[in-house]
Amino acid sequence: MKLGPKAAAAALVLSASMALTACGGGNAGAGANSGATTVTALTLGTLRDLTSWDPAQAHVGHALQPYQAAYDSLILRESDGKLSPMLATAWKYNDARTKLTVDLRTDVTFSDGAKFDAEAAKANLDHFKKANGPQMAQLSSVSDVAVVDADTVDINLSAPDPALEFFLSQAAGLMGSPKALGTDAIKTEPVGSGPYVMDKAASVKDSQSVFNAREGYWNKDLQKYKKLTLKILLDPTARTNALVSGQIDATLLDPKNGKQAEGAKMKLETNQVDWSGLLLLDRDGSKNPALANLKVRQAINYAFDRKTILDQVMLGQGTPTSQPFGKDSGAWSEDLENYYSYDPEKAKQLIKESGFEGNISIDVPTLPGAETLISVLKQQLADVGITLNPGAAITNTFTADVAARKYSALFYNLFQGEPTVAIDQIVSTKALYNPFKSTTPDLEQKILAVRNAGDNAGEAAKEVNKYVVEQAWFAPLFRVNQMYYHNDKVNVEPQAQQAVPSIYNYSPAK
Amino acid sequence: MIKFIAKRLGSGVMVLFVVSVLTFTLLYTSSGSIAQNILGDQATPEQVAAKEHELGLDQPLFVRYFSWLGDALGGNLGASWFTNEPVANSLATRIPVTMTMVFAAMILIAICAALIGVAAAVKRGWVDRVVQVGAIIGDSIPGYVIGVFLVTILAIQLGLFPATSTISPGVGPEVWVVSMTLPVIALLINGVTGGAQQIRSAVIKQLERDYVRTLRSRGIGEREILFKHVLRSAAPAGLTVLSLQLIGMLGGVVIIEQIFALPGMGPLAVAATGQTDLPVVMGVVMYTVVVVIVVNLLVDIVNGWLNPKVRVS
Repeated sequence: MKLGPKAAAAALVLSASMALTACGGGNAGAGANSGATTVTALTLGTLRDLTSWDPAQAHVGHALQPYQAAYDSLILRESDGKLSPMLATAWKYNDARTKLTVDLRTDVTFSDGAKFDAEAAKANLDHFKKANGPQMAQLSSVSDVAVVDADTVDINLSAPDPALEFFLSQAAGLMGSPKALGTDAIKTEPVGSGPYVMDKAASVKDSQSVFNAREGYWNKDLQKYKKLTLKILLDPTARTNALVSGQIDATLLDPKNGKQAEGAKMKLETNQVDWSGLLLLDRDGSKNPALANLKVRQAINYAFDRKTILDQVMLGQGTPTSQPFGKDSGAWSEDLENYYSYDPEKAKQLIKESGFEGNISIDVPTLPGAETLISVLKQQLADVGITLNPGAAITNTFTADVAARKYSALFYNLFQGEPTVAIDQIVSTKALYNPFKSTTPDLEQKILAVRNAGDNAGEAAKEVNKYVVEQAWFAPLFRVNQMYYHNDKVNVEPQAQQAVPSIYNYSPAK
Repeated sequence: MIKFIAKRLGSGVMVLFVVSVLTFTLLYTSSGSIAQNILGDQATPEQVAAKEHELGLDQPLFVRYFSWLGDALGGNLGASWFTNEPVANSLATRIPVTMTMVFAAMILIAICAALIGVAAAVKRGWVDRVVQVGAIIGDSIPGYVIGVFLVTILAIQLGLFPATSTISPGVGPEVWVVSMTLPVIALLINGVTGGAQQIRSAVIKQLERDYVRTLRSRGIGEREILFKHVLRSAAPAGLTVLSLQLIGMLGGVVIIEQIFALPGMGPLAVAATGQTDLPVVMGVVMYTVVVVIVVNLLVDIVNGWLNPKVRVS
């Protein structure tokens, strides 16, 4: 009975005992931050935080945008893909296209006070080449960088690379302060010459990155806001809720969530960045002999009713296609768009001619999120007598598995880049998505022609595109619409080949 | 009592050690080419080898484990392989968010579940039936569905709360309160219904015991029987249920934090696991195990305090 008085409060015993443990929770911090959005502030919902602010760790598309806030690039890529001067005022190749001479601005400083000059540009390009970043291949053709004078550098190439100028508008062209490059500090706090400077105190890893306009920035046209907040919202539902409730001004959604955003009168900007379809990798038939047969590969292409699949599974958000090269690449061709129209009879006929009738079975790993789509493909292939076996889900060892030839075929979404970028992604023998190293002398010649074509790389790549379509290296289904939504406080211009626009493409709505 | 606590603490440390060994071994042997994942799909084999050396992945497993353990005992949990942010820092900024939410939800669950459960057990009749039906409905709706529903009505339609968290460095407690309200309610409903159900059964069971009949026969008032005797005997069962709920909530909170974009442990755990960022995953696992051990220890202590028999056994 010694606990008597305490026991009298027994109705609360259960709760109180738990409450005792609750004192640990608390909050921290000082200072002020307002979430209010005015015309001078832009808040964007982004898909994930950067792993490092080191410019050499920059990536493509939505993983490039945050860097653009803090860093200028040598060349500016405008929304239509046109390359314009930025930190580089002019650039010119020698006749052999093995040396690019770049003139630089002389009036730019970094946010730590260091001056931008030829030495700084060289330091950045050298750093990019050896920093093991995800896009380090962008400078793989660069043999060395030479300082000519205070505002000129020569970029020497081991072989011509038509995409180099494009790369200098991307990750490889981002310029950080030479004093900060290679330090640990720049991994968590960018030091660039860009339109905005990070407010480290207000930024929280994986939650939000806050930027303020840089005082005295050299190009006011690219600095349209006083404050920029990138709110990291992994979950598409969270992004949708944040957008329709006015917490963010713009974000990337998918067709399903897009419906809700449209209901809340958000504006949609679409462009096409990826293609979706099957990669018939084992064209030599080393693991799956049927895939070595052109007729089998073509039959697979004829088996799909692309339009219906698109309408049913993707709510119509995309364009059916038979070619892997994108519209902005220059290699795209009207004739190839419907090269393989839906024709199950022809597919059956081709299979009969191939001699593999009733004997074609294709294993693909399951791409998370694409389960419905893959089951539709399975059904349509079954209709022409081909068995599709969706296997285990793709894991984080995916790229290593592809390289190790684990998969003879894949269903995947792939980026549609510049001609040489696309070739080195899916066609050439060094491409990750050509693990069986399929090639012919004819194709090698076509690829070489693209590499040496300079500004006509797109036109030359049409031949490569035609080759892989006719040879049915892939079974492309459609180009997928990227669905970027924004409210009426901001004007947004989509950026060619990017799901998420460049940071310069936002402006306050008048 | 001190001996009892010491014994429990000792076994807690053992559990922590065993879990760390198992987790470490599982993670390091099943996660494929980590260096390749960090460097991306265009890295050459030489770059991958260099990265593996840098991370110490070329050393035998037990060497790596003991080096991790040595550092961890010294308070150094290492740094993320992807972001280089010290794991201890990541945890320090995130644990307060998750713990505030979990404990706020737990306190409310404990109070509401106890009141509802006891009311249903004592009153029976229609009160009991309403509680029973409510429990089934509440228990069968997942927390994240409730979360999305709350956001749609209260945040988007009525604008009463922010749709996603506005917690950031330097904000006042009022921002924490408004940002946490909807996620806490989303966590709450399952817990209250489940907890009330268990507490109801425990109280009913006690009320049917002989000692209650004896007390009644001696003319002791219902109120005194309930508060002085029945609840004290029913408390251990209720406590155990609540502690299990708290531990379960550490998992449920992952999804809730994503929906409300709360900068807590959930997004960190998801991101680190997806990337195979092993130092961070180890940190998250250790934190979870410590919370589980501490909660169990506290429940044991409270149970021991309420019921001397537990201490003896």
